[in-house]
Amino acid sequence: MSKRVAIIGIGTTGFRATTPDVSYRELTYEAAMKAYLDAGVEPKDIGSFVATSEDFLEGYSISDEYSPDQLGAVLRPIYTVPGDFIHSLASAYMMILSGVGPISVAQGLSKASNMLTLSEMVTFGMDPIYNRPLKESPHAVAGLEMARFLYETGTTREQCAKVVVKNRKNALNNPYAGHGVLVNPDYVLNSEVISYPLTQMDISPHSDGAVVVVLAEEEAAKALCDKPIWIRGIGWCSDTPGLETRNWAEAIYAQMAAEMAYKMAGIRYPRKEIDFAEINDEFSYKELQHLEAMRVCKKGEAGPLTEIGGTEITGEFPVNTSGGCLGVGNLYELNGGHKVFEVVQQLRGEAGKNQLKNVTTGLAQSWRGIPTTTGTVVILSN
Amino acid sequence: MALIERFQKTTDIGYWQGQIPLNYIYTVGRAGEKFFREIINGKIFGAKCEACNITYVPAKIFCEKCFARLEDKYLDVGTKGKVYTFTQCYETYEGIRKEKPSIVTVIQIDGTQGFLVHWLGEIDFEKVSIGMPVEAVFKAKKDREGSILDIKYFKPIK
Ligand SMILES: [Zn+2]
Repeated sequence: MSKRVAIIGIGTTGFRATTPDVSYRELTYEAAMKAYLDAGVEPKDIGSFVATSEDFLEGYSISDEYSPDQLGAVLRPIYTVPGDFIHSLASAYMMILSGVGPISVAQGLSKASNMLTLSEMVTFGMDPIYNRPLKESPHAVAGLEMARFLYETGTTREQCAKVVVKNRKNALNNPYAGHGVLVNPDYVLNSEVISYPLTQMDISPHSDGAVVVVLAEEEAAKALCDKPIWIRGIGWCSDTPGLETRNWAEAIYAQMAAEMAYKMAGIRYPRKEIDFAEINDEFSYKELQHLEAMRVCKKGEAGPLTEIGGTEITGEFPVNTSGGCLGVGNLYELNGGHKVFEVVQQLRGEAGKNQLKNVTTGLAQSWRGIPTTTGTVVILSN
Repeated sequence: MALIERFQKTTDIGYWQGQIPLNYIYTVGRAGEKFFREIINGKIFGAKCEACNITYVPAKIFCEKCFARLEDKYLDVGTKGKVYTFTQCYETYEGIRKEKPSIVTVIQIDGTQGFLVHWLGEIDFEKVSIGMPVEAVFKAKKDREGSILDIKYFKPIK
């Protein structure tokens, strides 16, 4: 394999349902300042910057043009990826491998509370000719997928509810999480039905925040950082997006992205060789569906594993110790960012009350949300 | 306002509310042209890739597996299918609670690998099941305009 690359600095604002006292630029500035301080670098030391944004969510038709200043990247090599944060991380990783410079930066942001018509914005992501004329909520897509997932795998709504209970509980002990709460499974099952079998509590509430990550090639990483967290494998994949042609039975995009990352990392048995994972759980069932797609569990086994506490912080394979999207909040394009942030914290031993013992390898996985079929995976080791 | 100061009242926080109209026309494309002209005739059209043995619905001009052109491979796939998955949706696209929920389904058209997303009618939600045979119910011919809404909904086949 070519050069080794490590994460040497992380910074975040934390994640809250609203952030009325700061602008989206100030969110990024705070995360960047903390990440650069953490890494012991200044913007002038950074070879290239990769930002993440989605125009409709940011409220600009060229939101990428508004990325440089708050990152310290004015008149520097920078571009913006309209994907998940982990796509940007992959680009920043490639910048180093391709010799642009030994240090690079990936940034992501959510200011979802600025968006007054979030539901319409997601609807606007659907096909205008075949789907939008029905004027159905985009949550119907999640309801349709959840129903097929339960049918395919024998997973129960109760097992999905356990994911919600676990993740929102984990969020209570994560000072960065915005939606921690103690609830019981009945509360989830009896909350308002949005698109059966999906209830209000199965849906992650949105959050604002920013994450900045500093990467460095081996020599620089060792010089600058006591606890470099190495990128062992990274992968990304998109299924056909149309509701008419996609695979409704499985999250094949997550499977392919994971296999790409496993291959790079030399991992054959993910359940044994990976200690814990941050998995995209924008909807409760997605955590289970993604675990099965990524071969952590066999088909139909993620629900039962969750039921017996196997994915709790104290379990055999902890999932979403951060609280996940359900407990931290749905950060849209930044979802992969908070997952990477948590995996790095765990591997450094800085995860506070939710700290896992003796962990050496963690996985962060994300998905771009409805109606997409795009997934990303990164595997990190200390 | 310095960094060490904080807002004391939410009403003091400044914001600007902005919106801008963005209007589009989406051309349906060559395959869409075929599909929507035929929907006016009460027919559903797909396209078959012989090499992959896949029939796409709605019709498309290319096979997304092998990238072959399918423009001369359009075919009438009939109006019957099976419920592949279904949901009862209580929310409008604006995120507002509906007065009456709708049954939204993914229908796999018989003999094809393609799906249509549409409503299911003439049945109670409790009676819907995956695999249930259904058929398209079209609007009256004079009301059809070459839209996915020319299909009113799918209904169970008795
Ligand atoms: Zn083909």
